[in-house]
Amino acid sequence: MSPGARRALQGAALGAGLLVYPFLDRSLGLQTVHAVSDGMIYVLLALGLNIVVGYAGLLDLGYAAFFAIGAYTMGLLNSPVLGSPLYGYRWSFWVCIWLAAGVSAVLGVVIGAPTLRVRGDYLAIITLGFGEIIPVAIRNLGDITIDIGGWRPIVRLNLTGGENGVNPIGRPHLPGVPFETDPVPWYFLILVIGLASLWAMNRLRDSRLGRAWMAIREDETAADCTGVNPISTKLLAFALGASFSGFAGSVYAAKLQAITPGAFEFQVSIMLLCMVVLGGTGSLTGVILGGMLITLFDRVVLTETTSMVRSVGRATGIAALTAADLTLWRWFFFGLGLVLVMLLRPEGLAGRRARPLAAVADDTDDPAALEPAPRVETIPGWLRERAERGGVVPEAAPLLEVRGLTKRFGGVVALNEVDLVVPRGAVIGLIGPNGAGKTTFFNVVTGLIRPDGGRITFEGARLAGLRPNAIVARGIARTFQSIRLFPQMTVLDNVLVGEHCRLAATVAGAVLRPPAVIAEEARARARARELLAFVGLGGKADDAARNLPYGDQRRLEIARALATEPRLLLLDEPTAGMNPRETETLTELIGILRRELSLSVLLIEHDMAVVMGISDRITALDYGTRIAEGTPAEIKRHPRVIEAYLGAGYEQELAARTPAR
Amino acid sequence: MLGLDDVHTYYGNIRALRGVSLAVESGEIVTLIGANGAGKTTTLRTILGTVRPRRGTVTFNGHRLDTLATDRIVRLGISHSPEGRRIFPRMTVLENLELGAFARRDREAIAPDLERVFALFPRLRERVAQKGGTLSGGEQQMLAIGRALMARPTLLLLDEPSMGLSPILVDTIFQIIQDINRQGTTILLVEQNARMALRVAHRGYVMQTGRLVLHDAAGALLRSDLVRKTYLGEK
Repeated sequence: MSPGARRALQGAALGAGLLVYPFLDRSLGLQTVHAVSDGMIYVLLALGLNIVVGYAGLLDLGYAAFFAIGAYTMGLLNSPVLGSPLYGYRWSFWVCIWLAAGVSAVLGVVIGAPTLRVRGDYLAIITLGFGEIIPVAIRNLGDITIDIGGWRPIVRLNLTGGENGVNPIGRPHLPGVPFETDPVPWYFLILVIGLASLWAMNRLRDSRLGRAWMAIREDETAADCTGVNPISTKLLAFALGASFSGFAGSVYAAKLQAITPGAFEFQVSIMLLCMVVLGGTGSLTGVILGGMLITLFDRVVLTETTSMVRSVGRATGIAALTAADLTLWRWFFFGLGLVLVMLLRPEGLAGRRARPLAAVADDTDDPAALEPAPRVETIPGWLRERAERGGVVPEAAPLLEVRGLTKRFGGVVALNEVDLVVPRGAVIGLIGPNGAGKTTFFNVVTGLIRPDGGRITFEGARLAGLRPNAIVARGIARTFQSIRLFPQMTVLDNVLVGEHCRLAATVAGAVLRPPAVIAEEARARARARELLAFVGLGGKADDAARNLPYGDQRRLEIARALATEPRLLLLDEPTAGMNPRETETLTELIGILRRELSLSVLLIEHDMAVVMGISDRITALDYGTRIAEGTPAEIKRHPRVIEAYLGAGYEQELAARTPAR
Repeated sequence: MLGLDDVHTYYGNIRALRGVSLAVESGEIVTLIGANGAGKTTTLRTILGTVRPRRGTVTFNGHRLDTLATDRIVRLGISHSPEGRRIFPRMTVLENLELGAFARRDREAIAPDLERVFALFPRLRERVAQKGGTLSGGEQQMLAIGRALMARPTLLLLDEPSMGLSPILVDTIFQIIQDINRQGTTILLVEQNARMALRVAHRGYVMQTGRLVLHDAAGALLRSDLVRKTYLGEK
C-alpha cells in the first residue's frame, strides 16, 4: 500500500470512529460524551495557546483570562440575566461566538502591545498578573454603583453576575437539532469547530506567518535582521491565540449554560500549559493528545477509579477506601505525569525528537568534493532580474553614505565620527583590531543599535530610527560574526524566512489560500531552492540548519541574506573558521555577486588575502576612529594600519600565503 | 601523557570519529588540522568527556578519561578554550577569569596567574569590569583562552584560538601559545590556520572525515603535498 493510500485509510478510519463514537457511547451506556466534548473545548484552547507558546515561543501564564473573556462576552451578549438585547434571537449564538473571539483578540492586542516589547520572562510575569486580575474583576463587576457626591450615574449595574455567575445563556439554534441537555449535538458542533480550527492552524503553520513565528522563537534578533517585524509578528500570535481562546470560551459558556469566575482561575492556565507541554510543544497532534489525555483523566478516569475504589471499600468494609476521593488528588497526578514525561520524553508525547548535533554528515573522503564551487550559470534568474531593475535608479549618488557616526557605551566611545561611503556595485572592506568597533558599525547601520550622532543615508533616504526589519525591507541584508541561523528550522525554511519581507500573505490569505497566495508560496519555494543550489546547498534543503557543518552554515546565512533581495550586503567575518579552500570558494561567491548582480558588499574580514583581493577600497578603524581609508595598495602600506592592525611581519605572511598572485 | 586508542565517536547514527589513535607527550605542542566537519572538535569533546566514545579508550597520565565526568577530567589538569568562545556573557571579564580557576585549591597562586593573563592580553585588563557579552568577538576569544589558562592546566586544549582575530593578534596569539608551552604547559591545538599552527607545533596530525590520515613532525607536514594543497591553499 502506498503511503498516500495508507494515510487516506487512516483518515477514513479516524473519521468513522469520530462519527460513530457518541452513538456507541450511548448504546453502551458509558456516558462519556460530555467529558469528551469538554475535552475538545480544552483542546481548542490548547491549540490557541500552542500558537503563542509553541510557535512564537512566548510563555503565557494567564491564557485562561482570554477564555474567561470569551465566555463572559457570550454571557453579556446572550443571557437574560444581564439583560442583553441580543438574547432570545435564533441567530444570536452564531453571531456571539464570533463577537467573543473578536473581543478576546482585541484585548489580546491591548495586553500584548505594551508587554511584547519586554523580554520573555517579564512577559510570563505580566501575563500571570493579567490572569489573576480577570477573575477578580469578574467577581467584583456584578454589582457596581458609582456615587460622586450624591450624583449616581450608575446604580447597581450587574455586568458579570459576580460570584453567582451567569445562568442561563442562550443556546444555539439549528433547525431540527436539539441543543439541550443531550450532549450528542454539542459533540458534533464542537467537533466541527475543532476540525475547522485544526485545518486553519495547519495552514497557518505552513505559511509565511508560521515561519515568522518560529523564526522569532529561534532567534529574535536574527529574525529582525532578516526582515521579520518581531513586534507585529508576536502581537499577531498573541491576538490569534486569544481569539481561539475567546471562541472556545463562548462555546463553553453556551454548552455549560452557566459560568462562574471559578472556572477561569490560574490553575486552568497551568492545566492548558501542561496540555501543550505534555503533548509536545509546537506539535498539533501532540496538543490534541495532551488535551484529551488530561481532560479524560480528570473527568473519566479519576471519577471511575474513585467509584471503583469505593465499591471495593464497601465490599471489603475498609472505611478509608469507601470515603476515598481520587479527584482531590488530581493535581498530584498531573504533576507526577508531567515530571515523568519530562524525564522520559522531554520533547513531549508526540513532539519531534531533536536530532543530535552532527559534525560529520558525509562519507566522502575527499574534502574538495565537499566544497562545490559557485557557478555563474546557477545564479537564480530572478535575482538577476532584480539586479537589472535596480540599474534604473540614478547611479550618481552613493548607495550607502555614513557621516560622522558616533556611538558611546557608557564611557567607551565605540564609534567616533566615522565616515564611510559604499558606491553602487562596490566591495568595501572594513578592517581594524579586535574591539575597534567594526561590528558595532554594522549594528548601527542595520538598526540594532541607535547611534548617538551622525547620519546614515541609503539610496538617498535617511535610515534614522528605522527598526532592523524595516532596514532589511529597504535593501540592506547582513550576516553575523557568530552564525545566527534558525537552528531547529530546515535549511529551506531558513531561506524562506529571508523572503518574508517580500511576501504579502495575510492571516486570511494563509488560511484560505486564494490562487494568488498559492502562486506566491510556490514562487517563494522555487526561489529558495534556486538560491540553495547557487550557494551549493541544493541537496540539503530539508536538513535541520543546526545539523549542517560549519562551512555550510556560513553559506546558508548568506543565502538567507540574499533571499531578502538586498542591494547592499553586510558580511561580518564570512571566512572566519574556514580553511583556505572554503575561503576561496566564498571569495569566488562574493566576486560573482558583485560582477553578475552588481550587488554592493561591505565586508568585515581578518583574512588579508580576501580583503585585499576583493575590496575596491578599505576603511580601517581603531578604537572607534577611522585611521585610514584608501585602496588596498594604500592601506597595505599605511603606517598606522601596519602598527595597529597588520603587524610588521604581515608583508612576508601575505607573500607566503599567495605565491600565485 | 594523553593517549587516544582507536576511538570511535558517534552523534546518533553519524560516525564522527572512525578509529582515532593519537598521542601527546608532556611538553609538546601537537596540532590537529583538517577541514570543517573532519572531527577535530569532536576529538576535543571526546577527550573532555562531553561526548562519549562508543569504542576505544582515552587515557591521561594513567587515568581512563572515557568513563570520567567532565568536571573530574578538568580537575586532573586538562582545560579547554572552546570553539566559538563560550564565555559567560552576563558575568564580568574578571568573574569569567576567576571561574576558570574554580576547581583549583591553591587559592594564593591565583592572583599571580591573573596578572599573567593580563600581561598576555592587556586588552582584558582594560575591560576587566565589562560584561563578557559586550566584548567584541576577538576580545571574547582572548577571554576564553585566558579563562582556560586560569585553571593552570598541565594540558591545554585550544579550539581555533586564532578565529576572528586581527592579523597582528594572530601573530601574538601564536607567540603566546609558544610562551605558555615554554612555561611548561602541554598543548593540543586545533586550527584552521594550518600554516601558523604547524609553525609553532612540534608535531601534527591531519584529519579527514573522522580519520587521521597523516602524522609527522610539523616541519615535514608543512612540506607535504597533501597539506600544502588542501590546507595551505597553495596551487
